[in-house]
Amino acid sequence: MDTLVLFTLNATWQIAALALMALGLALVFGLLRIMNMAHGEFVMLGAYAPVLAAQLGLPALAAVPICLMMVGLTAWLVERLVVRHLYARMFDSLLATWALSILMRKGAELVFGRQFRNVASPLDGVTQIGAIGYPSYRLAVIALVLAGGLGLWLWYRRSATGLRLKAMVDNPALAQAVGINTARLSAMAFVSGCLMAGLAGMLLAPTLSISPGMGLDALIRSFFALIVGGLGSLEGLALGASVIGGLQSGLSAAFTQTAGYLGVLSLAILFLWRYPDGLYRRR
Amino acid sequence: MGSIVGVNLALLAALLLVPVLGGAFFAWQIGLFLIYGIAAQGVGFAWGRGGFLPLGNALFFGLGAYSAAAVLRVTDGALLVNLLAMLITALACGALAFGLAVLLFRGRIGSGPGFSLVTLALVLIAGQIAETTPALTGGFNGLSGYAPLAGLDPFGAFYYVIVALVMLVSCGFLLIDRLPAGLILRGLVAQEGRLELLGFALHRVKGWAFAVSAFVTSLAGALYASHQGIVTPQAIGFALSAELVIWAAVGGRMSPLGPLLGAVVIGWASATLRDTVAWWEVAVAAVFLLVILFLPGGAMDLVNRALHRLGLGPRPKALPPLAAPASRASTATGALELSDVGLSAGTVTILDGLSLRAAPQGVLCVIGPNGAGKTTMLNAITGRMPTQKGVVSLGGRRLTGRAPHQMLAQGIARKMQVPTVFAGLTVAQNLQLAMLAGRLNWRDALRPAPLRWQGDTLAALLDDPDVPLAAAWLKSAEHLPQGHRQLLELALTLAPDPRLVLLDEPAAGMSPAETQIMVRLIRAYQQRSGAAVLIIEHDMALVEALASEVAVLHQGRVLAQGTLAVIRADPQVTAVYAGGHK
Repeated sequence: MDTLVLFTLNATWQIAALALMALGLALVFGLLRIMNMAHGEFVMLGAYAPVLAAQLGLPALAAVPICLMMVGLTAWLVERLVVRHLYARMFDSLLATWALSILMRKGAELVFGRQFRNVASPLDGVTQIGAIGYPSYRLAVIALVLAGGLGLWLWYRRSATGLRLKAMVDNPALAQAVGINTARLSAMAFVSGCLMAGLAGMLLAPTLSISPGMGLDALIRSFFALIVGGLGSLEGLALGASVIGGLQSGLSAAFTQTAGYLGVLSLAILFLWRYPDGLYRRR
Repeated sequence: MGSIVGVNLALLAALLLVPVLGGAFFAWQIGLFLIYGIAAQGVGFAWGRGGFLPLGNALFFGLGAYSAAAVLRVTDGALLVNLLAMLITALACGALAFGLAVLLFRGRIGSGPGFSLVTLALVLIAGQIAETTPALTGGFNGLSGYAPLAGLDPFGAFYYVIVALVMLVSCGFLLIDRLPAGLILRGLVAQEGRLELLGFALHRVKGWAFAVSAFVTSLAGALYASHQGIVTPQAIGFALSAELVIWAAVGGRMSPLGPLLGAVVIGWASATLRDTVAWWEVAVAAVFLLVILFLPGGAMDLVNRALHRLGLGPRPKALPPLAAPASRASTATGALELSDVGLSAGTVTILDGLSLRAAPQGVLCVIGPNGAGKTTMLNAITGRMPTQKGVVSLGGRRLTGRAPHQMLAQGIARKMQVPTVFAGLTVAQNLQLAMLAGRLNWRDALRPAPLRWQGDTLAALLDDPDVPLAAAWLKSAEHLPQGHRQLLELALTLAPDPRLVLLDEPAAGMSPAETQIMVRLIRAYQQRSGAAVLIIEHDMALVEALASEVAVLHQGRVLAQGTLAVIRADPQVTAVYAGGHK
């Protein structure tokens, strides 16, 4: 019984963390049709925010403005200089963001060094659930992901900006014709997507080992979650994160981490081959 | 062939001078980057010629290296056994790559990101396995303590083995460029959609390109094992994969020699500067990004442009044409029949139980208001869009459920509404590709002769004084004016001698005089071949001149079918066109 509760908690944690990490990628792909290969590097950049805050002797909450500044500025520059010219050019944007990811990774190696780092969790305690003690920080992140996801879903459905975004996704030329500033909206969407990635990195930082190369894993698992769930919707993202996160934690617990990875990869190949639209399809 | 020999002799001379001028240790250093260069050539081939980006080619490099090391250890470096083992491993890598590419590219056109990310994931997993299974790979310490291939000294004679493989691979890639296989790959990058209409299975073409890439990369890995004397997880890791891509891009992925140049120059400079200049790797990454954005052809593009300006560029020689074999498309017979075909996208019904019959000979014109489902009907016939109900058949053979690339073999060719030609290729190359369509079998892809194939249909078109294609022979198709592009696409459509020609607004964007020419050419083909032609058109002058029968489409159904006079007299048709109530 206790092992079952623990496994459920762990799986929930994996799924929430994956959904959080994949959100930025889903946003950028869903709204701009750009596969942002540098997504993982924005996660990495965000994860360095608490590292910097700790190094500077600032309180844990100072990581939030540091993260927003660092990631936001980088994303804004990248949008201005590179991505802006590549909207709707799928393969070119794939290449350019891939090159960008290498540049960001090498830049991080130069600035932060190659070594692995850890940061202390801002919430140290353990919460008792029945006979099981589970780290409070993880529970808080799970709650935050649930609340944030629901909020975003409602906002996208109800708000005027959500409507403009939907118009842009549906038909960029027409959206421009009816007076929507698609250039600004696209820039906003890209920067927000990167900020989501950065915030995910910041929130997950206490549970990961942080290094310049950590972005690859984030990118691949996020992408697989999107492939399985279906590109371009929040519901699909939740579904995909559940399947991929659940499968990986299940296989890793039963066998080895490599087996978990292989299982996830095989599933992704199966989906790309047989069901390229993913599980969740909008009617 | 003149320039191939020249380029290769120059390359060979440069490679042989390295140990003479730089000494044995320098040659050993360069040897490593030549090995990496071969692997980068593999990446460049997939990327520049296949049009997709493999991010995990170190997988094949590592498989080649680990298996070579294992065999060398057991056999003490015996020459023949090891060469055989290298070849078998490389073939296995090719087969793995072929299977993977076919699976991933069959799912949907444009699954580019999917392919790249799956290859990336594969190499990450391979790296993880190499690190965590010491029994198989020696773990972090790697495999070492084996004799090199044939006991050759890595600091001496082994350099010439590397040179031999460099020459073999470079010659091979330069040759492929001049064979039908190379032309098909250029067509793939220039315009996938048209290549598919010409009957080539895109996923299989990409599969072959990736297989060649993996084969070559694996051979390079096998030499690496002898050259280094140790194989560690580094040889199969992500870092090497990324560097292969950078070298291919900066050197020039479009040219067979570009990646080699990139690997030797950047790789060697990196090895020398990496430890002393802290920002070196950042600078290389920045150069990579700039090349991607501003110089897609890489350094070789600059070299080629300079050669061209000096008048040293390749000069295409016109060889006399050869008679082409009969096209597989020309043997089909019978009438096209659509019965009760239904197709909807989302909640919108586009074809609503459409039934239509086109006689086995003659011209059927399909007219109808915008949104009637005319183009969608062609998409349903050619398998481009899946139908939900009904059957499409030609001469009693079922077409429903077949893939678009199988249509040409069924005798069907299609001209698109927006002219779809191979934009980056010359008019001559466009027409060469069209002559391969429906005629090529796999052995022909590796013989030069099929590039000279000429058929009666194409010859008649080119001889026509009103068709200006012969005059634009070496011009790039993207620089043709709209009317000429329409004529070029007509030539691409008719060259395989199809029995059923589907033309989607062939006169769109043409002047009245050009429309006259188009009418004359279509009629000439129909009369000479006795084929069936189905035309979608709004231009009533064209319909009047060509149609032996007319069908009117309205809201996804056939409203009326008959001779033009009958259609004109039909009150329902008048109502639809004059805006009467429905």
